[in-house]
Amino acid sequence: MKAIIAATVLGVILMFAGLFVKEKKSVASLAVFLLFVLLGVNIWDLVTTAPNETLSFFNNMLRVDRYALWFNTLMTGCTLLYALLVSKEIQRVGSHVAEYFALICFILCGVYMLSTYNNVLILFIGIEILSIPQYILAGSDKRNLKSSEASLKYFLMGAFSTGILLMGITLLYGATGTFNIIQYTFLQSDMLSPMALAGILFLMVAFAFKVSAAPMHMWTPDVYDGAPTPFTAFMATIVKASAFVAFMRLFSVSFGAISSDWMMVLAIITAATLFVGNITAVFQQSVKRMLAYSSIAQAGFMLFAVLAVNATAWQGMMIYAVAYSVATIGMFAVLMKMKDYTYDGFNGLAKKDPMLAAFTTVFLLSLAGIPLTGGFMAKYFVLLAAVEQGKMMWLVIFALFMAAVSAYYYFRVIMAMYFKQGNAELNTEVSATDRFLLAITVLLVIVLGAAPNLILNI
Amino acid sequence: MGIYEISFWFLTVMALSCALGVILSRNPVNSVLFLIATFFAISGHYILLNAQFLAIVNIIVYAGAIMVLFLFVIMLMNLNADTEPQKNRLVQIAGAISGGTLLLVILAALRTSTITSLDQTSTDIGLIKNLGKTLFTQFVLPFEISSVLFLSAMIGAVVIGKKEQTV
Repeated sequence: MKAIIAATVLGVILMFAGLFVKEKKSVASLAVFLLFVLLGVNIWDLVTTAPNETLSFFNNMLRVDRYALWFNTLMTGCTLLYALLVSKEIQRVGSHVAEYFALICFILCGVYMLSTYNNVLILFIGIEILSIPQYILAGSDKRNLKSSEASLKYFLMGAFSTGILLMGITLLYGATGTFNIIQYTFLQSDMLSPMALAGILFLMVAFAFKVSAAPMHMWTPDVYDGAPTPFTAFMATIVKASAFVAFMRLFSVSFGAISSDWMMVLAIITAATLFVGNITAVFQQSVKRMLAYSSIAQAGFMLFAVLAVNATAWQGMMIYAVAYSVATIGMFAVLMKMKDYTYDGFNGLAKKDPMLAAFTTVFLLSLAGIPLTGGFMAKYFVLLAAVEQGKMMWLVIFALFMAAVSAYYYFRVIMAMYFKQGNAELNTEVSATDRFLLAITVLLVIVLGAAPNLILNI
Repeated sequence: MGIYEISFWFLTVMALSCALGVILSRNPVNSVLFLIATFFAISGHYILLNAQFLAIVNIIVYAGAIMVLFLFVIMLMNLNADTEPQKNRLVQIAGAISGGTLLLVILAALRTSTITSLDQTSTDIGLIKNLGKTLFTQFVLPFEISSVLFLSAMIGAVVIGKKEQTV
C-alpha cells in the first residue's frame, strides 16, 4: 500500500519537475534518485511485514503478502537498473523526459496493484494503469512513423482486449455475485455454471493478449519493433512480468481448484506460443525484432507457471520474472549502443570491443537458458513445477525441444560477434559508467544462476 | 401486461433493431445515429431498473459527448465507398465462424443460468445518494486510484499532442 502511494506521489513530483527543471540530464538524475526512494519504500514495506503475515486494505480490495512485497521490491530494483542503464537513451527519444519518467512511475503503481489485488476491479484498473502509459511511451518518438503506428496499433488492440477482460469480469459477477477473487473459489467442478466458465475463458483470452501469448501475439512484434528501443526494453520486461503475476494470481487463487477445466485450453495456448515465438524468431533479420519474438517465446515458458498450480510455480514465476527482466534489459542496453540493429551490425564486435561482446554473450546465454545463468534456473523451476504437477508431460518435452530451437537464434548473435568479419559500429561511445552498470547486470545474471535461493527464500 | 412490461419490450425491440442498424447501414453517419438511438434505448432500460443516475450519465457521456466526437471524426474523414478497405473472403468466413462459436457459448451460458429477478425491496439502489455512499465506502480505493489512470491519460494527451521541437 505504501508503495502504491509512493509511486503515485513520485510520478506527480516528476511531472512538476518537467515544469521547473529544464535540463534533461538533471531530470533524469532526479528520476533515478526518486526510483531509489521508491525502492527504499518497498524495502521498508517488506521488512515491516512478518513472513507469514497477510494484510488487507480497504475492505479486502488489496491483499498484501510477503510474496507480493518481495516481487514489488525486485521489480522496482529492475526498474532502477533499467533507468540507470538507459537514462541517456531516454533523453534522446524526445523533449518530454520528465513525462516519460512520470509515466514509468505510474506503470510501477500499476505493477504494485497487479501483484496485490484481491478484487477484480483493482485488477481492471491496474491493467489499465499498466497499459495506457505504454501506449503513450510507444508513440513518444513522434518523428518516427513506425513509432506512431506502434502506438495506435497497441492502443486499438489493447482497448479491445480490455473490453474482453471486462466482459469476463461481468460474466463472473453474473455467475457468482462478487468481485472478490477469494470468493470465486469454486470447490467442485459440477458447481460451475457455463456462465462462470465463459467468464474464465474471456479472462484467459484477455490475459493471453496482455502477456502476448499466441494466438493473441500479433501486436507484439510490430509494437516492440516500432516503439523507441528504451521503452521496448521496459515493456518487454517489467510490464510483462507483472501481467504474468496478475494472471497467475487470479488463476491459482480463484480458479486453482477447477484447474482441470481450463488447463487444456491454456496448454494449447502455451504450445502455440512456444512454437510461434521460437520458429518465427529464427527467420528474423533484425535483432530487435528477434528479441520481440523471443519475448513471445519466453512468455510460453512463463505460462508453465500459470499452468502448474503449485508452490514451485510461484517460485518459478518469481525467478523467471527477475532473470528474464535482468537479461533482457541488459541485452536491450547493448542493442541501444549499436548503430545497426540487424545481425550484420554485430559482426566483429568481439574484436572492436571485447568487453561489450562478452557481456552480450552472457545475456544471450541466459535468455537461451544455458546452465550457470539466471535463465537456466528460471526455466528449470517453471518446468519443475509442471513436472511436479504431472499432467502436462508432453508439453514439457515440447518446451525442451523449443528451448533447443531458441539456442539457434541467440547463438547467431554470438556467432556474428566472434566469428564473422566486420566492423560493428557503435552509436555512442560506451562510457565507464555504462560498463560498470553492465558488469553489475552480468553479475546479477550469474548470481541468479548460481544461487537462485537468494531470491526464493524470502 | 402492465406499463412496465410494455415499455420493457418496446425498449428491447428498439435497442436490438437499432443495434442491427449500426452494423447493417452502409453510411457511417447513419451507423452513428443508430448507435445514439441504441444508447437511448439502453438508458431507458436503466430507468426501468431504477438506476436514474446511470441512465443520465449514459446519455450525457455516451450519446452526448462521445457520439458527437464520433460524428466529427467521420465527417472530417469524409468516408465513402472508395476508402472502404478491401475485405478478404477468408477472413470474413473465419470471423463468422469464431463469432458464431462465441454466440453459442454465451447462449449456452444464458440458457442454464438461473435468472434472478430484480429485488423489489431495494428499489432505491441506483439512486445517486446510494451510489455515492458505496463509491466512497466500499469502493473508495478503485475510485480514488482511477485518478492515476486519468492523470497518465492527460500526460499522454500533452506528450502526444505537443509539437516536438526540431533538434
